[in-house]
Amino acid sequence: MGVAGGAQSKDEASAADGLIAGYRPQSGLFDEMMDGKGVLRPHWRPLRDRLSELHAKGELAACFATADRYLKDSGVFYRVYDDKAADERPWPLSHVPILVSPEDWKRIKAGAVQRAALLEAILADCYGERRLVAEGALPAAAIAGSPEYLRPLAGGTPPGTRFLAFYALDLGRGPNGEWWVIRDRAQAPSGAGYALENRNAIARALTDIYRAFDVERLAAFFEAFRGWLTSFREADDAGTCLLTPGQLNETYFEHAYLARQLGFRLVEGQDLTVRDQKLYLRTIAGLRRVSALWRRLDSDFCDPLELNQRSQLGVPGLVQAIRHGNVRVANALGTGLGEAPALLGFLPALARRILDQPLALPNVATWWCGQAAERREVLDQLDRLVVAPAFTDRIPFVLDRGPEVVAEMSAARRRQLVEAIGRRGVDFVGQELVNLSTTPVWQEGRLVPRPFQLRVYVAATADGWNVMPGGLGIIGDKPDARAVSMQQGARSADVWVLSEGGPAESALPSPPRDIAIRRATGALPSRAADNLFWMGRYLERAESTLRIVRALTARLAQSERAPHADALALTDLLFKWGASPQAAAGAGVGAAASALFDAGIGSVPHLVQAARGCAAGIRDRFPRDSLIALDELHAFITAAKTGPRGATALLDMANHALQIVAAVTGFHDENMNRLSGWRFLQLGLRIERAIGTCRFARQLGVEAAGPDGLDALLELAESLRTYRVRYMLGTARAPVFDLVLLEPNNPRSVAFSLAEIAKHLETLPNARGTQGPAGPLKEAEARAAEIAELDPASISDDRLIGIENGMMRISNEISLTYFTLRQLAAQDGSGR
Amino acid sequence: MMFAVRQVTTYQYASLVPFARHTLRLTPGSGGRQEVLGSTITLDPAPHERSETVDFFGNRVTHIVIERPHRTLLVASEAEVRVEPPAAPDPADCPAWTALREAAGAVRDGSGRSPIHHIYPSRLVPLHPDIRDYAQACFPDGRSVLAGGIALTERIKAEFVYDPQATDVTTPTAEAFAMRRGVCQDFAQVMIAGLRALGLPAAYVSGYLRTEPLPGHPRLAGADATHAWVALWCGEEAGWQGLDPTNGVRVGADHIELAFGRDYADVSPVDGVIVASGGHTLSVSVDVVPSEEATPPAVKETAGVSPRPARP
Repeated sequence: MGVAGGAQSKDEASAADGLIAGYRPQSGLFDEMMDGKGVLRPHWRPLRDRLSELHAKGELAACFATADRYLKDSGVFYRVYDDKAADERPWPLSHVPILVSPEDWKRIKAGAVQRAALLEAILADCYGERRLVAEGALPAAAIAGSPEYLRPLAGGTPPGTRFLAFYALDLGRGPNGEWWVIRDRAQAPSGAGYALENRNAIARALTDIYRAFDVERLAAFFEAFRGWLTSFREADDAGTCLLTPGQLNETYFEHAYLARQLGFRLVEGQDLTVRDQKLYLRTIAGLRRVSALWRRLDSDFCDPLELNQRSQLGVPGLVQAIRHGNVRVANALGTGLGEAPALLGFLPALARRILDQPLALPNVATWWCGQAAERREVLDQLDRLVVAPAFTDRIPFVLDRGPEVVAEMSAARRRQLVEAIGRRGVDFVGQELVNLSTTPVWQEGRLVPRPFQLRVYVAATADGWNVMPGGLGIIGDKPDARAVSMQQGARSADVWVLSEGGPAESALPSPPRDIAIRRATGALPSRAADNLFWMGRYLERAESTLRIVRALTARLAQSERAPHADALALTDLLFKWGASPQAAAGAGVGAAASALFDAGIGSVPHLVQAARGCAAGIRDRFPRDSLIALDELHAFITAAKTGPRGATALLDMANHALQIVAAVTGFHDENMNRLSGWRFLQLGLRIERAIGTCRFARQLGVEAAGPDGLDALLELAESLRTYRVRYMLGTARAPVFDLVLLEPNNPRSVAFSLAEIAKHLETLPNARGTQGPAGPLKEAEARAAEIAELDPASISDDRLIGIENGMMRISNEISLTYFTLRQLAAQDGSGR
Repeated sequence: MMFAVRQVTTYQYASLVPFARHTLRLTPGSGGRQEVLGSTITLDPAPHERSETVDFFGNRVTHIVIERPHRTLLVASEAEVRVEPPAAPDPADCPAWTALREAAGAVRDGSGRSPIHHIYPSRLVPLHPDIRDYAQACFPDGRSVLAGGIALTERIKAEFVYDPQATDVTTPTAEAFAMRRGVCQDFAQVMIAGLRALGLPAAYVSGYLRTEPLPGHPRLAGADATHAWVALWCGEEAGWQGLDPTNGVRVGADHIELAFGRDYADVSPVDGVIVASGGHTLSVSVDVVPSEEATPPAVKETAGVSPRPARP
């Protein structure tokens, strides 16, 4: 250990230290920091000393706040299901790390590796030869009862399939100090990415302490896993993909985060397709092969054709691609079988049989009631046990809320349970109650003991199983192991594995050698392109609406009198724009407020929400600051809703909101690589802007808008100053139209937008074919030629409508060529 | 007895379908009392990819991919099948149902025909206490499993109304049970739910039923159409015994087995994922003709809107 600490008596400790004054292990529970006599455990002493030092200086709270700020700024969140009010929750971190001594870690690590190997062997057998069943080592019923025993994969996985690639186990420490396995996570374990962010947060909060300590680093673990999975890639494929259920999943943040950290592509089922028994990614350049997939979607949802038909998250035909050995999926489909509590009771015997070793880490004692003797044992000691579903989360009508402590049941329910076990024992397990050990948690200025579980991660590498030297601490309030869950309001904690040797090699991560230069390729997934394009359109539309509101409220704020014709025209525009209802159109201020706060299809809140929806679907390829600014825009509008509603107040709000929009787009311009993703964003923005400008010209360039209508048009097109400099003699229709529609050097003009659109389209894949430009570019070039011919003095309404329709046709052509399935399917067929 | 079976399934789509992927379970297999002498599946449009596999339960599956834009998909399956009447053991020779339950849970067979896959709830057959109590009445203490199964078959036939309007392919089992109405799929799944709730192994069988009204006998429902019934495992000796709750009878020589699984989801004749906007209509025609009198089979069209072939 890097920091020495001498022995100290209990009295000295408590006298010297307000931080742990009153800290006492709870009776009957093991405490990580302090033994039963109130003496600090030696491996905790250095951390306690350092924390006490900070505490004495009054700096500890500020340090911990640093960690919270880091997590907030990094946008670390998770979702709680059935919680409409706050669906995205900030990630809750308990600031004091959980320390694991080198001796404890050695046992945990060995036990985790052994268990991974054991489960791998069991899974391979159950999906392969089924010898364990045939030889009586494992009852057929203990396998068949799992909804995760996916029959279409049984006997169908190619030889040499690795089932577990990323596995986790939840551990608890019992009152006797022994570590127990509470449950296995074999499906698609979550939390490793959160563990990494916990580490980042704590390393920032306790920088000096963390450096002084010899804590095992986490990065190498992920790098080794990345290396293993990436080794299955084929030349010229689309890269390793991480398959997520999508942004509504509770741990979507982690999927996006890990994809970015590991350089994987974040994909959803609809991004992928199977052709000729091979898996492909749909990109704007056509189909690109996928040969390695990290699955964070539950197996059963992965292929609606052969698995759960109701799934809309999967890839039809994926099972066939797997059968043909054309894609490596980690974890393999069907590994959720390894999580069944029914298996727990058989593992000690299976470890001896398969590995010829005793189980290194014991399970929670578990009896599966599918066997007569075990069933009797459970019924005999029922009141001392937890009864749990053997295979699922809950059993309808019997254990509707999952596992239950029998002693806490009413007599009637207990009777029903006994009957149910008698009738269908196969559905139940009995388990010993496990009381978890406690670890110190910072609460109201001091440390208090709280129960926790430790989730440990094991990953496949080229050299065998690799255990993450750390983990996810999950801290609850009740000592009952079943009550600790992030879904039920638990907190997480960083886990420091203290190393045995000196700090020499591992204190600072050595710079990795031989990093291959990675440059982004042009294979942008179609769905990402679609989202970016619409993000651009929604943002520009929101900006335009804010400009109208600004122009309108500025006029209303200036004048005490009834609104002039230009203000009426702007009010009418808000209505026709879908931003405010007709009822609000009579009063200008009402229309402006409605456009700013109500939920109309063209209102600012609706457009911002739509833009956020697009951004949420492409979190992994979007500048972080831009996302923050977008969230800020949403928060600002929501908060302003309850504020004052006078013309001046609304004007201030519109101005402020426009500044935030400028920040969002500014981050795009400065922080996005000039790859096709950025181009789709620009295309959306340019198309929307050209449509808007034509629409403004039709509304404000007419007699009815009054003499000041043209001024309003120049204002909306940000061209007032240019106009004033260029034309000294007041506003007239032809020069105004020339400036906002036709002037090729005005970045707000339609002609400029069209030139930009053509430039972006030119760089995209398949922009030109053998027959000349493809649909989008052809349309854009035709519109540009048309505009170039226009005489500013004779631009009719019909002309303007014609240009607007032309822009919409460009939009449709872009969709057809780069986003939709139909086009891609046709391309694929012709390319063969 | 030799039969020529022909099923024609036609999908009409509201819009052009550029890409489709389907799995078909439309080819009967040989085994037990049934031997398939020949079979074909013809598709229009012709598929771009086509392959055959045998699924976990031993069913023959055809995987197809169509990449040509189409408005109509026609699937014609034909098979020549020799069917022997099933051995019909005396219920009195079968074990008591409680003993059978223990025996089923203890089998060391994990293969597709093992009873072990059929004692648990499945995707379309969750267990419900009301259906359990309904089935329990047919299984007093000590009764033979087969006798109880036959009693339940007859009870459902007597107390349920055959009513294609009452349910569709997605109606939950508990709902069909509460109405005491439905078609063969509902009756089979209700019966399976009841048997499994008691811990007994019960499987779902899809197939065809040839009907030839005998003088003085009523015509059986499900004539010349796809059909479904229940297989109840009655121990190592008697094995799977077919029970047809739609007609209240034990499965006989006129029941031709197409596919075997835990519920309809395992045996669905056509499963597909298509890229299309708009809905579709479906028609299914089935002809089961004894080979001795084989004539070119007529095709009779019946329109429907179900996403899957109509279920008797």
